[in-house]
Amino acid sequence: MIKKQINFLKLTPLFLSISSLLVIFSFFIIAKNGFNYGVDFAGGTEIQVQFNQPVTDASIRQFLSTQKIKNFNVQSFDEKNEFLIRLDALSDLKLKKLTSNFKSTFSSKGFVMRRVDSVGPQIGSELKKKGLLALFYSLLIILIYVGLRFDYEYAPGAVICLFHDVVITLGIFSLLQREVNLQTLAAVLTIIGYSLNDTIVTFDRIRENIALYRDKTFSWIINSSLNDVLSRTILTSLTTSMAVFAMYFWADGVIRDFAFTLGIGVIVGTYSSIYIASPLVQFITKFKKT
Amino acid sequence: MFIENKKVRWIIIFCSIALALYIALPNFYPKSDFFSGKKKINYGLDIQGGIYLVMKANVEEAMHARMQKKISILKSDFKDEEIKFKSIEFKKKSLSKIIIQLSDNNKDKVKKTLKKIHNDLQILLEKPSSLELSYYEASLSIYKKQVVEQSIEVVRNRIDAFGVSEPQITAQGSDRILIQLPGVENADQAKELIHRTATLNFRPVYEEVTTDTLQKWVSKVETKNKFSLGTEKSIRLAKNAKIHLLKYRQYIKQINRNLASKLPKNTKLIFQKPPNAKTLEAGRIPFLIKTDNDLSGAYLETARVGSNEYGKPQVNFRFNIQGQKRFAKMTAANIQKRVAIVLDDIVQSAPVIQEEINSPTARITLGSAGDIKETLKEANFLATALRAGALPVQLEQLEERTVGPSLGSDSIKKGKLAGMIGGLLILLFILGYYRGLGVVANIALTLNMLFIIAILTSLQATLTLPGVAGIILTIGMAVDANIIIFERIKEELAKGAGFRSSVRNGFSQAFAAIFDANITTAAVCVVLMYFGSGPVRGFAVTLISGIITSLFTSVFISRSILEMKILNQSKRT
Repeated sequence: MIKKQINFLKLTPLFLSISSLLVIFSFFIIAKNGFNYGVDFAGGTEIQVQFNQPVTDASIRQFLSTQKIKNFNVQSFDEKNEFLIRLDALSDLKLKKLTSNFKSTFSSKGFVMRRVDSVGPQIGSELKKKGLLALFYSLLIILIYVGLRFDYEYAPGAVICLFHDVVITLGIFSLLQREVNLQTLAAVLTIIGYSLNDTIVTFDRIRENIALYRDKTFSWIINSSLNDVLSRTILTSLTTSMAVFAMYFWADGVIRDFAFTLGIGVIVGTYSSIYIASPLVQFITKFKKT
Repeated sequence: MFIENKKVRWIIIFCSIALALYIALPNFYPKSDFFSGKKKINYGLDIQGGIYLVMKANVEEAMHARMQKKISILKSDFKDEEIKFKSIEFKKKSLSKIIIQLSDNNKDKVKKTLKKIHNDLQILLEKPSSLELSYYEASLSIYKKQVVEQSIEVVRNRIDAFGVSEPQITAQGSDRILIQLPGVENADQAKELIHRTATLNFRPVYEEVTTDTLQKWVSKVETKNKFSLGTEKSIRLAKNAKIHLLKYRQYIKQINRNLASKLPKNTKLIFQKPPNAKTLEAGRIPFLIKTDNDLSGAYLETARVGSNEYGKPQVNFRFNIQGQKRFAKMTAANIQKRVAIVLDDIVQSAPVIQEEINSPTARITLGSAGDIKETLKEANFLATALRAGALPVQLEQLEERTVGPSLGSDSIKKGKLAGMIGGLLILLFILGYYRGLGVVANIALTLNMLFIIAILTSLQATLTLPGVAGIILTIGMAVDANIIIFERIKEELAKGAGFRSSVRNGFSQAFAAIFDANITTAAVCVVLMYFGSGPVRGFAVTLISGIITSLFTSVFISRSILEMKILNQSKRT
């Protein structure tokens, strides 16, 4: 092979330290800022309203304060006279009263109730627990599967790499205080899937090259494997980015949030499968030999 | 792995495409008669709008009521058997345990009686002067399940009355009920309907005032105060009409208030639907019932649908011991008089009592002249309502999600647009990058979409917004499989191999990577399906369908097309 080889491993120490710092920093941010849990996890009521005539958020705030509601948060969408209101969990009766008052107060403005999400605190914490369990079991299954299909030296690399992706993604969520809800969870799990996809394609090549080039060093094999799959990595990242790009710019609401998370995932996932997963395999193999 | 026989291969491909087209096509013709009976993809509530409710059945309360009932039965049984006891009560902290404090040295006799009559109880703890009992664990869990199932039945009946198309009412976990009402906008109305509890009562009829007189009173009051009974629909439509239309409950309240001076003490005016009338609004027979003497559904043990000697549906029910006593007393006091069976303030029937009925069973014959199917349905509803009356379970709302239809249609429109743009971008990119091979990849991708739609349609899985995102993502990931393969083929070609062997080697080498990557993603999907709820689960279903279809299209179909191409090339040369 005369193909020009990029020496990925040369930069490994640098990227490993950057990644470690990023992970530590993410943990720090999460510990400090926590998450902005949506109603799915925190419990509470979220109402999305729309008017066909201009309405200011001030008038909505004023209306809410007359309704004896203590904690509320009004957020406007861009230029569509659409608002998202978050409240503490309301009882069924109170919610009913609130919506009918809303209707009567803003009837002249063409009020439309677009969405109501009300989740009791009990369910919220249950969903949170289930979400964490889902994350945990996914990683466990991946660990087992990779361990069985490849060698067990590969499994920790894959899992640490995914862990890295998840922590950094969550760190970004915590930093930007973006809402964490069930969709976020789905997106994070998709990131796992995507990053894993990348990692396994690389591992597969490493495994193949080990059999092919018996006289070469392990680091040479890893490096050339990364180079072998490089064009594929770039192409796939490009096509996936196109899907994510379309989701972000042409859809809205849930799908846009989803696309945002996936966008982070594509970047972090691609990076980590190159600079985290494979070097870790090398590291673990070395560690085993000594 | 790959089928070598070309004929078989193409038969499989064409059959699967034909099948997928057959299943998926109805989705593209929303209002065609030709496809009217066929299934379409279920859109989730976040897409088509509707209400999603999670209710908790208060099982503990039902357990409590059941224990109370059991204790009273135990007490009366002991009395019948002349067994003396100090007390029978709940164990203070645990509602599922009963403690009998014995008075004489009659423990063996008690145990014998318990074994004979109450073999559903087990003895947990035996002390010289007391016994601690509880239901068997298995019977407890069956009971809990029954409570939830009955609640679901009741809710379903009520929702059916609301006329929602394809409501989904299912149990979730041990005490939850998940209610999904697609297309319903008015959450309040739906919830009110769900929470309404049917109450059953037996009440003697006050017969000193004739039906004709009552009829006259009613029409006089109605014309004087300008109100009448209306249906849900007519009330909504006739907001500013001259006559005020009321719902049944309010209507009864209004009539009784206006007639208060005329009605005898402790009586109430309610109505029966005559057998030839379709609805209560179309015709109603007034009844004056005594309110000071009643027997409520709380004394019922069971209610079942059966049929009488003429084959007409009837509801058989069974009183508990107290109920039987009260029923005997009531019938004895009203011989040759009528006793009305009243459900939710509507008289179901009012048979004339011939003699004292001292039996635990009674029945309501539904002798309307109408359609037997309708009558059976009514009997079922009545039995269910009666059981509900016998098992008062409170439903507590835990979660509510309502999506207005406008938001739904907006988001599906945008989701579709995003999907098409994303897909188009990818198709163009692939075509530009791989040229000839790109055509093959694009055929595979398009077929992939078709297969996903077909699978989702045949599974009748619910497509939610995250599900749409899952499809968009699948397009992106399916491309990956093609890219892996094509990059391998290119590598082989770069090594100087011929086109034929390059294709062959490219596919076989790529397969392991594609397979491993997809299987692990599928494993994650399985976890998601197990732990996820609602939308996340929908996402997992689409992604897993996408994985299966993309394996089939990008590995099997692409390869078949490429090999055909090779064959054509070799024929030409």
